Amino acid sequence: MLFQTQSFLLLFLPVTLALFYAAANRPAAREWVIVLASVLFYGAWDARFVPLLIGQTLLTWGMAGLALRTGRRGLLTLGIALNLVVLAFFKYAGFAVETVEALLGVALPRHEIALPIGISFITFELISYLVDVKRGEVGLHRFRAFCLYTFFFPHLVAGPIVRHNELIPQLAASPLRPGVAERMGRGLSLLILGLGQKVFLADRLAKIADPVFAPGAQPGFGAAWEGALAFSLQLFFDFAAYTDMALGIALMFGITLPRNFDTPYRALDLREFWRRWHMTLSRWIRDYLYIPLGGNRHGTGRYIAATMIAMTLCGLWHGAAWTFVVWGAMHGAGLLVVHLWQGAGGRMPAPLAWLVTMLFVLIGWVLFRAPDFAHAGQVLAAMVHPAAVALTLKKLPWLLLLAAALSVVRPTAAEFAERRLVANWPVAVALAGLAVAAILDVGEGKPVSFIYFQF
Amino acid sequence: MGIFTGWTRYTKLLIGLAFGLPLMLFAFVALVDPYDVVPFSPPMARPPMDINQRFMYPAIVRRGAYDSAVFGTSTSRLLVPDQLNAAIGGRFANLAMNAATAYEQYRLADLFLRRTPRPKAVIFGLDAPWCSGKADVERFTFRPFPPWMYDDDRWNDLAYLLNGKTLEIAGRLVGHHLGLMPQRIGWDGYERFVPPEESYDAARARGHIYAETSGRIERREPPEPVSEAMRASWRFPALGWLDDLLARLPAETDKLILFTPVHLIAQPVAGSAAAAQEEACKQQVVALAQRHKARVIDFRIDSDITRNDLNYWDKLHFRTPIADRLVSLIAEARSGADAAPAHGLYRVLAP
Repeated sequence: MLFQTQSFLLLFLPVTLALFYAAANRPAAREWVIVLASVLFYGAWDARFVPLLIGQTLLTWGMAGLALRTGRRGLLTLGIALNLVVLAFFKYAGFAVETVEALLGVALPRHEIALPIGISFITFELISYLVDVKRGEVGLHRFRAFCLYTFFFPHLVAGPIVRHNELIPQLAASPLRPGVAERMGRGLSLLILGLGQKVFLADRLAKIADPVFAPGAQPGFGAAWEGALAFSLQLFFDFAAYTDMALGIALMFGITLPRNFDTPYRALDLREFWRRWHMTLSRWIRDYLYIPLGGNRHGTGRYIAATMIAMTLCGLWHGAAWTFVVWGAMHGAGLLVVHLWQGAGGRMPAPLAWLVTMLFVLIGWVLFRAPDFAHAGQVLAAMVHPAAVALTLKKLPWLLLLAAALSVVRPTAAEFAERRLVANWPVAVALAGLAVAAILDVGEGKPVSFIYFQF
Repeated sequence: MGIFTGWTRYTKLLIGLAFGLPLMLFAFVALVDPYDVVPFSPPMARPPMDINQRFMYPAIVRRGAYDSAVFGTSTSRLLVPDQLNAAIGGRFANLAMNAATAYEQYRLADLFLRRTPRPKAVIFGLDAPWCSGKADVERFTFRPFPPWMYDDDRWNDLAYLLNGKTLEIAGRLVGHHLGLMPQRIGWDGYERFVPPEESYDAARARGHIYAETSGRIERREPPEPVSEAMRASWRFPALGWLDDLLARLPAETDKLILFTPVHLIAQPVAGSAAAAQEEACKQQVVALAQRHKARVIDFRIDSDITRNDLNYWDKLHFRTPIADRLVSLIAEARSGADAAPAHGLYRVLAP
């Protein structure tokens, strides 16, 4: 079930909210409402994977409980390993077989395994809990609360990657505590702003980007630039829209989820970019990968290794393909260069720094989007083709210009809805107008899935 | 209304508008029910008010008022149901759809046969899409096609009604009932979609007919060689659908297959490989027809109809007098006359 479908917006969400608030004074009942609604939400995609979701959650909770009761910390390591095995099996088995085939030149038996939606996000959340238990930072959560941590449908499929200690303590608070109308109003406003970004920006930008990256496409200079820029903006608005909707929906249930974006396309260097882009993933990689690998406190060698390993795995996390691995490694190398340059006192004027950073990110997105290296190379080659000189714009790319401007506007939608929103009728009418337009628009045809759902 | 502040009023207003308005619009569409698909909509006259026939014809089929039907593209649309009723018998609906692919025609005919399993007469007006080697890949055009209207479940149709297009058509239907909008397409699906005869301009029509052609090639001499390998590579995937439809028709149904008369310029040049390929397609149709006892009349030939520019608005669309003439020629062919009449306007490929 996609957030931007009519069945979700006009049926699933209102019914779930109504049941939740009807049970608001009974903590167990209201938590079960969300757990069951979330299972239904997940099962609407592919009911076959519901047992996997429940099993992985139960296994993690059970291992943590057993380890804490018996004091056998090895069980936590086993729990982490088992979660990684699940992820590896469903997401990377085919990729590993293909790679071995390519290296050895032999044909191996293949099994087409469907990717359970959201598995990368769910697995990371479960692993972070086991690591935190191992570090002695947390005990065993209540079973229902733990299920809710994993299942809570606003973040179930594509994040934000929430920490257990961010979400679980919020469950104790009554949803009817003072400020319920404000939370509901702000949450719905953010949901609508996300819906608008998805329907009127991301999905429209996809129509410009998709043909450029379609198999067999041979874009010229203008089309390659247009496609690369359109995809860069599409990816941002698609994911930011999803996150805004997730945050908004969660707030309607009285839960605050962490933000994921802070105008990343304003970044003046690559480190800043990763502090602003997919912030909960960056945070996860920093806390559970980069720092345990040594971070920057154990000499240059360890720093380089930690950065490269963390970013390469970050790339691999996005997708089971070498293009993602190289994309991640490229960002790792970029971060090292930034570190060295800034460490040596290197400075450049802000506009130039922004331009260099955005060009680097843009090149990365071409690799990220292209089906293979050959296609990425073709698009990048077209972008530096000498025909540049002869470029004439047939018509102004209004959508690109608008999206580019909106991508750097502050406050962000989340900040606007959560902090700056003024509760008056013109704002309500304007947002309702956006909601109605978007709801009618999505009724026209098949909804376009979110890009990050494939990860 | 002054500008209020306060979260309770804001949230109530936002919920009311953001959820309430779509629900009201949905209620409006469901009650007006412009596609006549809603199981609980109140009874009222619902003539076809959309331009896209793919959305309008399922309702005509479901109402079941017609025991005979024409399927095809715009090259069959001008056959007047009343004339067909008189010439062939039965109550005809003309369900030919502009620029329909063979698959879209198949889906509509399939729906018709599920609703009317024992039709009195069925006419399939075949043209180029039926002989396309890509018919099974290119199943749809850029025009929307609503598969949900073509199944037997009317309740699932409710999920597709809340959008700008359906609202517009519902608005048109209301406008029609208020006397503001005329009915464009008849209850039997017929619409004279070409301009009025009195506005016909021969020079303009020629401009359209030869718009994409530099000159008229009569025949390739010597004929283009067609190897066995080429013949073996020709595929006519759409004919499998035709086979299915013919197989489902009972013996007593009058089954008629027409190759419709597009202008000669739109037909493959005689002696070309394309012409040989089309002839092979026609032969396969004939084989199907013979197996299922259907009659095949071929107007897609070099004839006084297809040669004369004055018979056409453009290379695909003949004028209404030609449409009338086709009906009388169909009646003539059905009467068991000569398979290759002297006037040469058609040939009966399967009697």
